[in-house]
Amino acid sequence: MSENRDSFPRPIDPQTREPLALVEQPGYYPGYSTLREREHWEEATRRVVLDRVDAVPPLRYFAADDAAFWSIVFEHLLPQADRTPNRRVAIINAVDDRLGSDRSPGYRFADMPPDREAYRLGREAIDEESRAVHGGAFRDLTYAQREDVLSLLHDGRPRAAAAIWQRMSIHRFWQLIVGDAIDAYYAHPWAWDEIGFGGPAYPRAYTRLERGDPEPWEVRERRYSWAPPESARSDETENVRAFHIEAEQHRSHEPKERRR
Amino acid sequence: MNGVAVNGYRPKAAPMRRYDETESVDYLIVGVGSAGGVLLQRLARAGFRVVGLEAGPFWEPERDWVSDEAGSHGLYWEDPRVTGGSDPLALGANNSGKGVGGGSVHWAAFTPRLHPSDFRTYSLDGVGVDWPIAYDELRPYYEQLELEMPVAGPAYYPWGHPHGYPYGPHPMGGVGNALVRGCSALDIPVSIGGPVAILSGSHGERPHCIYRGFCIQGCKVGAKASTLITHVPDALANGAEVRDRAMASRIELGRDGRVTGVHYYDDAGAERFQRARAVIVAGYAIETPRLLLNSACPGFERGLANSSGTVGRYLMAQAGNVILGRFDELVRMYKAPPAHALTEEFYETDARNDFARGFAIQTVGPLPIAFAKQMMAAKKAWGWGLRREMMDYNHWAAFGLLGEILPAADNRVTLSEERDRFGLRVAHVSFNLCDNDRKLIKAGTEKTMEVMWAAGAREVVQEARYAHLVGGARMGNDPATSVVDRFGRTHDVPNLFVCDGSVLPTQGSANPGLTIQALAARTADYLVSAGDAIFTSTSERVEAEPPLRKDLAPPATWGKGVPRLR
Repeated sequence: MSENRDSFPRPIDPQTREPLALVEQPGYYPGYSTLREREHWEEATRRVVLDRVDAVPPLRYFAADDAAFWSIVFEHLLPQADRTPNRRVAIINAVDDRLGSDRSPGYRFADMPPDREAYRLGREAIDEESRAVHGGAFRDLTYAQREDVLSLLHDGRPRAAAAIWQRMSIHRFWQLIVGDAIDAYYAHPWAWDEIGFGGPAYPRAYTRLERGDPEPWEVRERRYSWAPPESARSDETENVRAFHIEAEQHRSHEPKERRR
Repeated sequence: MNGVAVNGYRPKAAPMRRYDETESVDYLIVGVGSAGGVLLQRLARAGFRVVGLEAGPFWEPERDWVSDEAGSHGLYWEDPRVTGGSDPLALGANNSGKGVGGGSVHWAAFTPRLHPSDFRTYSLDGVGVDWPIAYDELRPYYEQLELEMPVAGPAYYPWGHPHGYPYGPHPMGGVGNALVRGCSALDIPVSIGGPVAILSGSHGERPHCIYRGFCIQGCKVGAKASTLITHVPDALANGAEVRDRAMASRIELGRDGRVTGVHYYDDAGAERFQRARAVIVAGYAIETPRLLLNSACPGFERGLANSSGTVGRYLMAQAGNVILGRFDELVRMYKAPPAHALTEEFYETDARNDFARGFAIQTVGPLPIAFAKQMMAAKKAWGWGLRREMMDYNHWAAFGLLGEILPAADNRVTLSEERDRFGLRVAHVSFNLCDNDRKLIKAGTEKTMEVMWAAGAREVVQEARYAHLVGGARMGNDPATSVVDRFGRTHDVPNLFVCDGSVLPTQGSANPGLTIQALAARTADYLVSAGDAIFTSTSERVEAEPPLRKDLAPPATWGKGVPRLR
């Protein structure tokens, strides 16, 4: 498959190797919708969740060029190319909103700058890495080349930007940007539908606590096979169970298991 | 679509009394959390004029809280802090509450007691330090607070000093069932359905649990105990004032060596001063030392009540590794309270181990955002790999290791050069594991993984992390090595007290919330018993254990059958 800088390949059917059709709701719970249950939620929760869907905050912190850059990064960190465009979660807007209000999680690691500075330095480092590995700015690389660059950061083995990585921990930086993507995506009811999370249940309650049984409004799981795009580097996971101590675990990046 | 209208649980509220700042109140309590809420209630009921300063808001749960992970960040201390050392601690949502109720708003509400051995770790095992009190002195307060919260759990709890619980155990969720299955396969005793301060039946005006799973996002139902609903309403009914959104900045020391009140910033950012005849700092393990250090003054250049140099030291977190197991069958771990089963079979020192002290294994129930970050840490998942792992969310169960980490002088809170929005120097937290800690964490993690395999998991991974905070202003008999005496009175200043998790000399493998509230009730009884002597300039100290004042308990405490063990 030929790729250009604007393409984000879709996951494939492992038998036919053909790209999957775009769907509004990927995952193993077809027909399940948390939002359909919203009349059973109390008002404060309904307002917070519906605002997340209907009132995406406009960009206000990132310059347009930075927003375009980070949008591409987030599409690698938490890809949504299997989703129809109308059902993709606006991760960049959520991150922009957090940085815009300078909201922190309540602490900063001593080997990290404040989050705004980390994003600024991070963009420089990713572009330097891109030039060192593939001879161009990150946004000018192909999808596969960008996956290369980001997987080097994931593994904590950068080939460039040593000065920046001396000022901030590459591993904590990785946790920061993937964590921000997670905060945005898995806060969204479309992601809840994808993974079969029941969502808010006050005041109605959960009543079927055992054996993974569904509530009357939940659905049963229906699994299917899928594989990531051929050129993706992110379908590997590693088992870091040998690292019992947090300071060791967050530094450890030794790819051990590939699913394919 | 309007949806369901909820008239949520709300404690009956009397109009709150307001004290004038120029009026010297009897007790000014800094921090209305787990300890501060209990102190406020006891002292008000005993007739003292009491004000609680709370940095965060006075919550209205039905209006302010949501069944939503991302929408709940306001419950946590999000003001800046710096965390370092060889093993830096995550803070914020991990362990630091803000707002009336403090940590008891976002705790999972596991309420095991400490064991008798926890009070004598140095004598028994040559590690840590002995407490200035024994289990028997705290035991009546454990029993008392288990009624006041109240706690649900089994009729026979076998570990430490065996006892039973006033409310019946909760039904099992998928995670609890996995823990029971794994422990049973390995012949490990397990406590089913508690102990947890969540109502398995209604209590007074409070309704029972609905198993919605959002315990640590604040219980809108009113089933989980927080001092916001268990003690603060009775405090207000008895004339206490809670001044919320009030950030304490400095404790004022008078010429006679006694404190005269506390400087604070109000919601509008204006500097104010509340006079008081005695001050109790109850800001938890980071903000308490920070306030004492920020209150340095002539005579106490290293920080108020810090002649020993101990303020901020001996900070502790517990090992909180999360062990995740993937099952063929569905689990749906978002249902049921995260806290509903545990084992303390490995709690005590075992001569066969290469380390002292031990650990507990407990249920946890991460919701999607927390679980995704665990997949990021445990499996280094990102991109399509993360999407794939998350699609299996409903197949995973999670156990929490809770391992004792020993107190060390260099694990400490100091002041950073950075300043917060009030211009106050922020806390710098430094944390470093010792050899015993590392061995204990490794053994505890491996044992917990063994239980997960025995439960039938097809894949087992773990995320290394820490849970809870205690220490930083520890109690002791020796003024040279501790900050407060066995009742929470600072050794240096006769009318300045510390009462919260920071006074714990060691921590065991028990979640600290119950112990913190029990210590607060005991300190309150001491203050009530001492009466006006606290407010006079004499430095003579009453050393007798105070009588237990059951008459100072909140309404609805009594009339419960408690399984009684001989």
